[in-house]
Amino acid sequence: MTQLVQALVLGLLIGGVYALMASGLTLIFGVMNIINVAHGALLILVAFITWKIWSLTGVDPILLAVVMTPLMFGFGWLLYKGVLSRISGSSPGMSVLLTFGIAITIEGVLNVTAGNKFRSATPSYFSESYRVLGISLPKAQVYGCLAAVLVLGLLYVVLARTWTGRAIRATAQNSSGAALVGIQASAVAALAFAIGTATTGVGGSILSVLYPFFPASHYDWISRLLGIIVLGGMGSLAGALIGALILGLAETLTATYGSLQWSTLIFYAVILVVLLFRPQGLFGSRLRQDVMA
Amino acid sequence: MLTISGVFAGYGGGDVLQGLDLEVPTGAITCIVGPNGAGKSTVLRVVSGLLKPRLGTIDLDGVRLDQLGCAGVLAKGVAQVPQSQALFPQMTIRENVLLGGYTLRRDKSLLNKRYDHVSELIPIVAERSNDKAGNLSGGQRRMVEIARCLMVDPSVLLLDEPSLGLDPKSLTGVSQLVRDANAAGTTVLLVEQNVRLGLSMATHGVVLEGGRVRLEAPAGELMANPEVAELYLGGHAGESRTARVGGTSLPADAGTGR
Repeated sequence: MTQLVQALVLGLLIGGVYALMASGLTLIFGVMNIINVAHGALLILVAFITWKIWSLTGVDPILLAVVMTPLMFGFGWLLYKGVLSRISGSSPGMSVLLTFGIAITIEGVLNVTAGNKFRSATPSYFSESYRVLGISLPKAQVYGCLAAVLVLGLLYVVLARTWTGRAIRATAQNSSGAALVGIQASAVAALAFAIGTATTGVGGSILSVLYPFFPASHYDWISRLLGIIVLGGMGSLAGALIGALILGLAETLTATYGSLQWSTLIFYAVILVVLLFRPQGLFGSRLRQDVMA
Repeated sequence: MLTISGVFAGYGGGDVLQGLDLEVPTGAITCIVGPNGAGKSTVLRVVSGLLKPRLGTIDLDGVRLDQLGCAGVLAKGVAQVPQSQALFPQMTIRENVLLGGYTLRRDKSLLNKRYDHVSELIPIVAERSNDKAGNLSGGQRRMVEIARCLMVDPSVLLLDEPSLGLDPKSLTGVSQLVRDANAAGTTVLLVEQNVRLGLSMATHGVVLEGGRVRLEAPAGELMANPEVAELYLGGHAGESRTARVGGTSLPADAGTGR
C-alpha cells in the first residue's frame, strides 16, 4: 500500500514538471499552429546555462528560474520576430522543418561550447527527502513541482482573466475573427511565442537538477512532450496537464511494479489506445460546429 | 459617406475587384448583389481591412481607411460581420460579445454599458451567455456575431450574406436587427446572395459584376429593373413569388390542403 501511494505521489510530482514543460509547447501550437520541435532544445539550453551558473557561483539552480524566465521570454520574442514570423500562415509542416533547424543549431552550439558530456546540477538538497507519513518526497522533486504549479497557475490566470490572455485564446480559436475585433495577430503571436518560450526558463532550470542531460537529450524530451500534448489534445492547456500527469504516473507505476525499461513504452501504449477512441486527444474538443462543418 | 475609388484587389491569383468605384451614402442600407465570383465579399474585406487593396483608395468622411488594417479600421467605427465562422467557438457567448469590445478594453464602464445594451437588444446574448459559441446553431451564431459588432457602436456595419443558412424565423430576426441598427444611425453595407431579401431590406442597391459596379440605384428601382429581375430574381420586374402564384389564379392558401 505504501509502495502504491509512494509511486502515485512521485508520479504526480514528476507529472507536474512535465505539465509545465508541455504547457509552452501546446500554447504555441494552439495560437500559431507552430509545432515547436525546438522546445526540447530550448529546455536543454536553459539547463546548461543554469548548470554553468550554479557550478560557478553556487546559486540554487531552481531559484535561477527567476532570471532564466525573463531571459527566455526575450529570446522567444526575438526568435519569433526574426525567424518564425517569416513562415506565419504556412502549414504546421513548415514549422516542424524550421524549428528542427533551430533545435539542431542549439544542439550544435552546445556541443561546441559546453561539450558533449552528461551534466547535472546537484545542489545540497539533491539527495535529501522529506518524509511524510512513511512516504519519501525527494526535496528536488518537491521544489521542482512547486515551481511548476506556481508557473502553471500564473499562466492560467493570465490566459483566463486578462485581455492579453483573451486575445491569445481568441487568436488561437479563430484568427480572422480575432482580427475583426481589432486584435493584432502578429503582436499576439509574438507574445504567445515569447510566453511559451519563457516556460522553458523555469522548465530547464528544474530539468538541470532532476535529470542528467547532454546536448542531444532534447530529442528524448521533445518526443515525450509531443506525446503529452497529442494525448491531451493539441493546443489544450488542460489537456497538457492531464497528459503530463498520466505520463508521470505511467512512469512511476511501471517502474515500481514492472521495470524502468518499460515505463516509456507504457505511456505510448496509452496514447495509442486513447487515440483509437478519441482521435482529437483527451481534451481536444468537438463542438456542434465541428460536426456540421 | 464611405467612398471606394479605383480599387483593385485580389488574393494573389489576379484581381477580383477591377477598379471598383462605389459610394455608400451615410445613414442608408446599401445592398450589393451580383453573381458568384463578382467580388461582393471582397468589397467588404477591403473595407474592413482584412484585405489590402493593390491600388485605389477607400475613405470614410475624408479619412483614408485602406492602409489602416483591421484594428485601425475598427477604430474608425467600421465593423464587419463576415460570411461564416467569425466567433471563438470554445469561448462562451459572453466572452465572445465582450471581445467585440476589445478596442474599448481600457474603459470598463463603457464596456459594461455596451454589453448590457447589446444583451437587451439581442436576447440570445443574455439567455445563452454561458454556453460555448461553437454549440450554437447557424442562426444563433449570426445573432451573436452581430451583437459582437454592435459592442463598438459602429458608424458603419458591414454584413456578409446575413441570410446564409438561416431559417425564415431567424432571418426575420436578423433583418429586424439590421433595420434597428440602421434606425439608430448606423450606415449598413451588406452583401446578399438572396437578392430579393437583400433589396427589400435596403434603401440603395448596387449590382456588381466582374469586380465593377454594373448598376446603382435606389433599391426599389433596382427591384423593378427588368434586367435585374431577369438575371437575379428569376422572373419579371416587380413580381414577387406570391404575386406569381396569384397571377396564375391559384388561391393564396393553395397546397395547405384546405
